[in-house]
Amino acid sequence: MGPNLAALSFTLCSECETSKARAGLMKLPHYEVKTPVFMPVGTQGTMKGLLPEQLEELDCEIILGNTYHLGNRPGIKTLKKAGGLHKFMGWHRALLTDSGGFQMVSLLKLAEITEEGVKFKSPYDGSEIMLTPEKSIEIQNCIGADIIMQLDDVVRTTFQDNDRIKLAAERTSRWLDRCLRAHKRPSDQNIFPIVQGLLNKELRIQSANEHMTKDVNGFAIGGLSGGEAKDDFWPIVSLSTDLLSKNKPRYLMGVGVAIDLVVCVALGVDMFDCVFPTRTARFGCALTNKGQLNLKQNQYATDLNPIDENCTCSTCRNYTRAYLHCIVSVETVACHLISVHNIAFQMRLMRTMRANIEKGTFPEFVKTFVDELYPNKDYPTWVINSLSSVGIKII
Amino acid sequence: MHFIVNNDLLAPDGAGCERLGCLTGISKSPKTVIETPTAALMTQGGSVVHLTADVLARVFTEPKLLWVPLSNSIQLEAGLQAQGEGVAKFAGLPGHVSCATLQNITEITPNGHYELDKVPVWTKNGKKLLTAERYMELMEVFKPDIILAIADGRTSLDEGSKRISKSVDRTQKMLNVCMEKYKCSEVLADSLILGVIVGCGSEKMLEKSIENISKYSDILAGVAISGLSDGSERSFNASDKLSDTIPKNFLKVLEGCWKPDVVLTAIEYGWDIFDGSLPLKYKDDFNPILDGCECLTCRKHTRAHNLHNFDQLFCYARRHIAANTFDLFKKYIQEQCQKLDPFIVYKEESIKDLKQVDEHKKKIRTNDIDNINSG
Ligand SMILES: [Zn+2]
Repeated sequence: MGPNLAALSFTLCSECETSKARAGLMKLPHYEVKTPVFMPVGTQGTMKGLLPEQLEELDCEIILGNTYHLGNRPGIKTLKKAGGLHKFMGWHRALLTDSGGFQMVSLLKLAEITEEGVKFKSPYDGSEIMLTPEKSIEIQNCIGADIIMQLDDVVRTTFQDNDRIKLAAERTSRWLDRCLRAHKRPSDQNIFPIVQGLLNKELRIQSANEHMTKDVNGFAIGGLSGGEAKDDFWPIVSLSTDLLSKNKPRYLMGVGVAIDLVVCVALGVDMFDCVFPTRTARFGCALTNKGQLNLKQNQYATDLNPIDENCTCSTCRNYTRAYLHCIVSVETVACHLISVHNIAFQMRLMRTMRANIEKGTFPEFVKTFVDELYPNKDYPTWVINSLSSVGIKII
Repeated sequence: MHFIVNNDLLAPDGAGCERLGCLTGISKSPKTVIETPTAALMTQGGSVVHLTADVLARVFTEPKLLWVPLSNSIQLEAGLQAQGEGVAKFAGLPGHVSCATLQNITEITPNGHYELDKVPVWTKNGKKLLTAERYMELMEVFKPDIILAIADGRTSLDEGSKRISKSVDRTQKMLNVCMEKYKCSEVLADSLILGVIVGCGSEKMLEKSIENISKYSDILAGVAISGLSDGSERSFNASDKLSDTIPKNFLKVLEGCWKPDVVLTAIEYGWDIFDGSLPLKYKDDFNPILDGCECLTCRKHTRAHNLHNFDQLFCYARRHIAANTFDLFKKYIQEQCQKLDPFIVYKEESIKDLKQVDEHKKKIRTNDIDNINSG
């Protein structure tokens, strides 16, 4: 539609005949990304996480960088000098950066939001810093990711004040205009607007309709996965995918637990990000189709099996549960090893969903998946309801 | 497994006792060769500190020596017993060579109560007292390629003579037990065992400790010096005493966190192996990435960078020993150490200039490291 087709082209390859699930191909300047896709956080501050080669081997096609962390370390100057984050970290595939706003509001208690932007005190020298929509885009233009996010007005999901929620949704639209005006690299970077409005359907409709009038190549659904009830969560996701253009990718921010991924793919979401797989690794939790294994538990002390015998990740190839049990939550190595497996798990889940959408067997896959996860058939109500809303009956 | 010293390369003109050698004949991996002098990689819980097997393989393609202190790995016992294939395999590092010891001597541990035939090991879950019997039992479970005999080595140079004397006696008693157990052990038939020299704070006690060890020179494959962590070169005096009593082909291990210039002095005194505690002291995450080694893996992974950088020191040291330019290399590193604290990036380019300065020296003997490998 817009003139920025060079920076992103999205092709729908297959659509599920029952649900809203779809498989697509998103061509970005650095890589062709197959959707639905999960984007692991690839640049956690000081890069203590996984190496780019490891992420490539894990089949990651697009990773997420935290603008706030990158701005502090290595810093914009260094990134500029290196010619962008891709070159700096040696990552050759697609990259998405957030606006930095969410990190500030969630990390820094002193953040204050005004019409101009997000004001906060630097945790380094105490000086006041203002992150405006223009500043956020300027930084993201330096980082050089394929997809960059608009600065949005973040209100806690469980927030109750309707006036504030309305203000946030409307301000987000105004900030979108400022972001688009400040954008210096439309030919190789795509700004995604963020649909806001929390759990208020009217505001969501308004926000989505407003953003769809803009010259953009994809959309994000924000303000969810912040502690709201699952029964409130899925109808908003479903409403958003109904509203948003069919021929552009839809990115649901902050969602990454396996069952949520399966449901939201069924509801028509194409892209996801979440710190969950790596965060839970820190507590010794490994992801499997049957749920999480807490490797701290004594039952694994002499268990010589890998985390998942069907997994081909380097952790499952080289390490037993018994060894991981010994070092879990004691050594940083354990955290890395479980992170590798957990990201491999996420990637495999997304690949499997995509393959099933293409084969026309997505509803059958969903049934198999929930039966393995809930062997006693104690499916959560929201899972039953959300899936049934798109024609997949699991009971 | 055995240790070979390349005696042909020993300088006959008193240029120092630096020497090249190698560890070979490991039954689990017959092709593995560890060239010395070298530094081991420090492990914690069996894993190289901060590095997964996957990342390690990207930094070092060749097998490395793993330093395995029981103090941080004793919790692996139950799992190791279940698996039965030794600590390197269990920790996801098969193909690497393991060297087990009581504790990482750079860890600061409390002083205190000792029992007659036991030494304390300070784990994350507190103090455990180990007898020599129990230590060797653990060795049969850990199955390391090299064992440092249990020793009461935690005495500083300035300790009182009574404490030092007790430490020498206790170590001797425990060595006797280790030797008995080792001789009878089928599991450890392929492992080398080294005697641990203690008592460095007193010349007399040091001599006594060396003498005790020399009684077992037909069983032992080498010696280690423990109990020094203050970075003083005083300890290397031990090597003068060693040369009279200890076989020349003994593997010599120096524990402790030494600065690069001190390491080179130790190499000059004939020490072959160093524990890997030094790179761990430098934890800063970013500066080395920006100004240091150009290899991409290092830029992306600072901890790997520090290990790689430290490894390069030994790699260059070996080349200079082979080229008979070791004294120049040492001088160069000493100068760098004075200028650049805390950490140097060892670049070969800068050394090339030095080589030219004293080109004629280089011609005296072979400079082909490959001869050493095939020999
Ligand atoms: Zn795995």
